[in-house]
Amino acid sequence: MRMQHWLYKLPLRIRSLFRAGSADQDLNDEMQYHMDRLVQEHMAKGLPEESARLAAVRAMDGLEQNKEKCRDTRSVSVPLNLARDIRYAVRGLRKSPGFCIVAVLTLALGIGANTAMFSVVNAILLRPLPFPEPSRLVHLWEAPPDNPAKRNVVNPWNFLIWREHTHSFAAMAAVSTGELNLTGEGNPVALPSASVSADYFSVLGIPALMGRTFEPGDDTPGHDDKAVLSYGLWQQRFGGDPQIIGKSLSIDGRPVIVIGVMPQSFVVPGSSARIWTPMAITRDPGWGKGRYATVIARLKPGVTLAQAQQDMAAVARIEAALRPDYDRNWGALCFPMLQDVTGDLRLPLLVLLGAVGFLLLITCANVANLVLMRGAGRLREIALREALGASRRRIVQQLLTEGIVLALSGMAAGLLLTVLAVPSMVAMIPPSLALPRSESISVDGRVLLFALVISALTAILFGLAPSLRASRVRLHHVLRQSGQQIGATGNRRLRNAFVVMELALAILLCMGAGLLLRSFQRLISVDPGFQTANTVTMRIFTSPAKYRKASQRAEYVENILSEVRAVPGVEAAGSVHFLPLRGQVSRSCFGPPTREEPNPTRSPDAQFLIVSEGYFAAMQTPVIAGRDFDSRDAMGKASVMMVNQAFVRTFLPGQNPLGQSFSVCWNVPNPAQIIGVVADTRQKALDDAPQPTIYLPNSQVAMYMASLVVRAKGDPRQITDSAISAIHRVDPEQPVAAVETLDSVLDSSVSRPRFEMILLIIFAGLALTLSAIGVYGVISYSVQQRSQEIGIRLALGAQGSSLVKLVLKEALSLALFGLLAGAICLLFLTRVLSSLLFEVRPYDPLTLLGASMVLLTTAALAAFVPAFRATRVDPMLALRSE
Amino acid sequence: MSKPSDLLQGTLDLLLLKILALEPLHGFAISVRLRQVSGEVLQVSDGSLYPALHKLEQEGWIKAEWKKSENNRRVKYYALTRLGRGQLERETAQWDRLSAAISHVIKLKEA
Repeated sequence: MRMQHWLYKLPLRIRSLFRAGSADQDLNDEMQYHMDRLVQEHMAKGLPEESARLAAVRAMDGLEQNKEKCRDTRSVSVPLNLARDIRYAVRGLRKSPGFCIVAVLTLALGIGANTAMFSVVNAILLRPLPFPEPSRLVHLWEAPPDNPAKRNVVNPWNFLIWREHTHSFAAMAAVSTGELNLTGEGNPVALPSASVSADYFSVLGIPALMGRTFEPGDDTPGHDDKAVLSYGLWQQRFGGDPQIIGKSLSIDGRPVIVIGVMPQSFVVPGSSARIWTPMAITRDPGWGKGRYATVIARLKPGVTLAQAQQDMAAVARIEAALRPDYDRNWGALCFPMLQDVTGDLRLPLLVLLGAVGFLLLITCANVANLVLMRGAGRLREIALREALGASRRRIVQQLLTEGIVLALSGMAAGLLLTVLAVPSMVAMIPPSLALPRSESISVDGRVLLFALVISALTAILFGLAPSLRASRVRLHHVLRQSGQQIGATGNRRLRNAFVVMELALAILLCMGAGLLLRSFQRLISVDPGFQTANTVTMRIFTSPAKYRKASQRAEYVENILSEVRAVPGVEAAGSVHFLPLRGQVSRSCFGPPTREEPNPTRSPDAQFLIVSEGYFAAMQTPVIAGRDFDSRDAMGKASVMMVNQAFVRTFLPGQNPLGQSFSVCWNVPNPAQIIGVVADTRQKALDDAPQPTIYLPNSQVAMYMASLVVRAKGDPRQITDSAISAIHRVDPEQPVAAVETLDSVLDSSVSRPRFEMILLIIFAGLALTLSAIGVYGVISYSVQQRSQEIGIRLALGAQGSSLVKLVLKEALSLALFGLLAGAICLLFLTRVLSSLLFEVRPYDPLTLLGASMVLLTTAALAAFVPAFRATRVDPMLALRSE
Repeated sequence: MSKPSDLLQGTLDLLLLKILALEPLHGFAISVRLRQVSGEVLQVSDGSLYPALHKLEQEGWIKAEWKKSENNRRVKYYALTRLGRGQLERETAQWDRLSAAISHVIKLKEA
């Protein structure tokens, strides 16, 4: 029955869909015939033709309404109406190109900025890790006794204990990143490397492109002379040699066999390793000390994160019981890998996404106002359409359609903007920013979906309010009213509310940008404790094969330094094992000067740095008391150390530090005597206050890793090449890496706050511009609406200046409301904000005042043009216009 | 039963189907016939006639055909379809039940 019914209905529906025109003609004919017959009938009863016609029309009670009702019975009318609405919307919009251009451009800015920002958030925070079943990947950490939530790198023995005593993990691997020297064919190079336990690749779940990855057994001593290459290294260094598997390379002076090459797509977020070697952890006591490994693991299928965390907590108790002296009160943590990789980027990115979201709201408010003002001019048209039988629903539908057409045009323009902007934005990200996963920032399906969703939301936000407003129009009210005042009163409050909202959001963004600006100023004016000008730095990693003994390394670095100091134009040169402002720190415990090793869980600890003679001179860090390291402090002589002022303040308050001795865990055999005190410097980053620091002489405790600091008499770039040649005169096979001026090291260390600040300033600038357009629009509309009143005032002798004041007052009162609303919102955002700020409180009065002035000035400027126009109103014209 | 207009709406469909069951007619003729047969009791406004007719047509209960009138104008004639005949029977039965029920109620003697 139902089926049959439809078979019958279908042709009719199709007809009305495709032949709407002829169907309408039929409807007209039918109705006309009826009317004519009615008129005839009435005339036959003796009515004059005029009255007969009138009676007929009355009998039909609304010819057009009836026709519309008949059309409504064709239930295809939804698509039919939609098609008509779209046609109508496009036609209507084309008729007001000014409105259209402003609206579409505004939307394009709002949507474009949001989509671009989202593509960054998407690539960094949202896109899953590029490994199979990425949600099962976790990072494991130790947690120090004084901060059970802090992720601390792991001691290799503890890794062994974890691997043995946990049950939640399918596989677990330890990683230690560093640098390896590749010599032999071609120039010696220092390669970013990772030494990994055998399960590393099976945790990540990626097989080799060629050859194989590590297998159990590869990480045992004697079998660990193997290496896996990255695709890039294979291509660049070995020209994609298909015979590479089985070849022997000279790495750090010892032969290593290439067993595999990873695919091009194998990118581990946050790791720059280009070569992997096995990490042969054993029960040898050498592995029992020092926390430096990162541990990754893959959860067993079905094991939840919470279960794994409990498992880790339990294993922490086991390890504390096994090695109380080393592990007492240390915890063990487990976090999703994605969360850890993106870690401290999450908040700044979400803040920026929020900021750009504000921009979108401003866009909506702006376009909503444009639509409202346009709508006010169209009230008559709408009233007329309602009189002709359009239902309220249809009118709202049609206005919404117009909104959607606008929003889609805005989206198209915005997407175009995004596609153009994203590559240049990625190019703008400084490499020093080290954004993990930023290489994959692109416009993908999810970004497109995001654009579509925000465009639809935008259309609803700016389309709905004005549409509902318009549909509440009282028919006769409007038709009776004179053109000028239509909609002036009711809409005004709504329009002003929109502008106040825009201004409030704009002031929030301005304040945010201002705060970041102030915080950045504070940051770069911090005295790091050394002079960066005229200084170049470079890193060397000493080959363990050639310089196995500490005395050999000490001599080697001293030879290099004296060769460098002999280069013309070099003023001073020294070395440090971790260069400041690169986020690298090392800590060591220390205790009273006994021959016994201080107990690590019960002794204080401090930052330590191993520096050569001449380091403080090269950095121009003043020696406050005592003396600098010099030739007296050679290997085998009395052990010495220096400390900074923070160390004295913290551990030796009110005492003379010179001559005091400590056993430093890093270098136990002999207690070291303090021979000098240096000024405080910032090591980890500019915003990290100086830590109590122990300096040990490289001549007594030589490291493999050393960053040279070379101070030139003039431009350091002119001596860079000769300094490198000087190094190669000592050892031609010594790779030199990370050659950079100290200025650029300082600069890179603040690149992230700078980037955040610049983005927020751009957003704030856009927000100000958009809200200026908003204020301008509303004020000029209001001036236009009040031209009659202004005309009367002028006719009665008002001065131009008082009119300007009148208009400006209107704009400024809007701005003040916006300011107030913005300040209230700021209260709720302080917690988020303060985590991004350095030495600036979120209520910094200077910033708040400055941002408020900027906003008020913008509002006043935006209102000035319409204010000026008000004084040009011709009183006669204004009075006559009605 | 809710509003009287609902009653009228349903009833109008029944009346139209019945009238067209007798012979195909055009809109104006239907309106005249309605007035005649109901003895001017049922005042169906010309306005509500056409939407009702179009609805019946869309439902497939009546079909329309354009013919030439006596003075050579295009006139739309409506005729009952097979589906419409079935619908008429159902609606008639429904109406009978309803009116019987109502008559029964209003004939109840007051106690």
